[in-house]
Amino acid sequence: MKYAWLGCLLLCRLLVAAPQDADVNVNARYTVESVILSGKGWTTNLRSETTDKISLGLRHQLVALIGQKLNPAGLDSLAANLKKELSAREVTHRVVRGENPEEVRVEFEVKPAKVSADLNLDQFVYDSAQGWSGSGAAGLTVGQHSFSVGLVSDADWLNERYAGFRARYEDKRLLSDRISFRFQVESYHDQWNSSTLAALAVHPDLTSEAYRARQNFQPTVTFALAKPLTLEVGARMERFENEDPAAGTVASDALITTLRFHRRLEDSDSQQDLDADCSLHAATRALGSDFVYSMRTAGMRYQFHHGKHVVTDNAWTGMILGRAPLSDRFVMGNTYYLRGWNKYEIDPLGGNRAVHNSVEYRYGPLQVFYDAGAIWDAGQQATPRQSLGVGLRESAFSLAVAFPVRSGHIEPIFMMGILP
Amino acid sequence: MSEPSRGSQISRRSWLLAGLAAPLFRARAADSLAVTFDGDNLHIASPDLHFLTGKPLRRLTDGGTVVYLGRLTLFRDPFLTPFRRTDGRFVVSYDIWGEDKFSVTMPEPVPRTVLLPASAAEAWCIENLAINASGLPPDRPFWLLLDLRTVPRKDLSQVLGDSGINIKNFFIEFFSRQPGTDDPQWTRPAGPLRLADLVRTPGRGKIG
Repeated sequence: MKYAWLGCLLLCRLLVAAPQDADVNVNARYTVESVILSGKGWTTNLRSETTDKISLGLRHQLVALIGQKLNPAGLDSLAANLKKELSAREVTHRVVRGENPEEVRVEFEVKPAKVSADLNLDQFVYDSAQGWSGSGAAGLTVGQHSFSVGLVSDADWLNERYAGFRARYEDKRLLSDRISFRFQVESYHDQWNSSTLAALAVHPDLTSEAYRARQNFQPTVTFALAKPLTLEVGARMERFENEDPAAGTVASDALITTLRFHRRLEDSDSQQDLDADCSLHAATRALGSDFVYSMRTAGMRYQFHHGKHVVTDNAWTGMILGRAPLSDRFVMGNTYYLRGWNKYEIDPLGGNRAVHNSVEYRYGPLQVFYDAGAIWDAGQQATPRQSLGVGLRESAFSLAVAFPVRSGHIEPIFMMGILP
Repeated sequence: MSEPSRGSQISRRSWLLAGLAAPLFRARAADSLAVTFDGDNLHIASPDLHFLTGKPLRRLTDGGTVVYLGRLTLFRDPFLTPFRRTDGRFVVSYDIWGEDKFSVTMPEPVPRTVLLPASAAEAWCIENLAINASGLPPDRPFWLLLDLRTVPRKDLSQVLGDSGINIKNFFIEFFSRQPGTDDPQWTRPAGPLRLADLVRTPGRGKIG
């Protein structure tokens, strides 16, 4: 009993003698009215607005301050997290009087890094049907200008394995905050699957010949038309080196435009994201292109977060009119579309018509998905296909097994890695 | 046992050292401490010492917390060998909705908080750095040195949420390190003084 009293006394002594910041800062008695986040040329009042600049978790932590008593010590750790997420030089915070008495406004000011360097692994994925694919880049940001150089070896996205480098320059403020400029250069060597080469021999007029290398030069300008709406306009100039060097190169030069929409709706315990885009690529002889075609795509993605539950629906369709090179044709049966199917089995040359929908449900890291889609060429009968999958996904890391839904044997495809 | 007889004499070497040490504290006559004695403790005051200024003040008016650590050291020779010292911790914040008032909390020995204008808050901190004068002969010279510093932001968690042995260890480590170029520091020397010459404030009464 004696020790119990002694323990109580010690505890009381500690509680009395060790005041926390919330106890000793006189402003801890005031209620947080709003939280303002600002940087160079932007300000967000988290009481009435949302921002994509920071992660959902951190945004929730900041929004949670509103309506609560001020905790000055907590602001330091939030500023440190903001600094980390935004790769900022410094994040300072201040507390100022709110509009109503006894209420205060918390203001975080983000000072961007003058020079920052980073190393990113954009994608690293293993597909039991296609093997390994990966891409990574080293970047340097100086003010509004960013440069990056990366290496790629990808057997997943297209009907070819392409390996090489890509370099990118971006000016995030071209004349105004609403305009950005980007110039991307890519140079790849290509390897072909025997199924693709066999299909090319049967349908030589459907698309380009198999090439041994390709280069792409792509300047684009993006206009922020309104807050959720951006328009990208530019050119895509591709050069294809024939397998036979004597045959020289062919060109595919296209004008490209993409309209993107993003909207986020949030309430206290759920979040909804809506992304939509449509694009048009038009390659004509007037631009010096050997290929004449137009490609139209449209996609819509809806995601609903509620606690650990995440439901996503991703719908996409595309159509090519004319003769497009192999690298521009649609592909399904990879780690994005019709997961579980083998792309060389579905359509080794890709298709010029495609439609796809994917529904995914996640509870924490557990993931189940259902993909349905079809890929075909104009004049052919479209064959709908479906697949089911289960897996684990934590942030960008994914581990999944996908099963194509078909009669007869079941041949699952195993996928794992870092996906964007 | 009584003090050695040389205690009441100050050697020429000590005076020389005192003369050399004084400029190190950037002490001017106007900047030294006013010392009073209440019969038990020596109390200091320094009306010209303003530490709620500069960067710490900016941090305070931005709603943050600034912790000041103060150390008052008693010497029986000219700032060479510490005879006794006392430490104080002052947690300061600025009332955003108040009328230019600062809240000062002194967590030890019993937590006390006051809400005062800047100069009164500064004076309150200094007044609370009293040092016991027991064992100090009334006619023997002594010296006092006040050292006041702000705790860097990175160390705040250590001094805000801690007490007892840990905070004592922090004081030892903190005052043994050189302050950084951005860490403000204020020092004020006083001496030579004699208890017998000091102004008596109401207190216990006679010494010795």
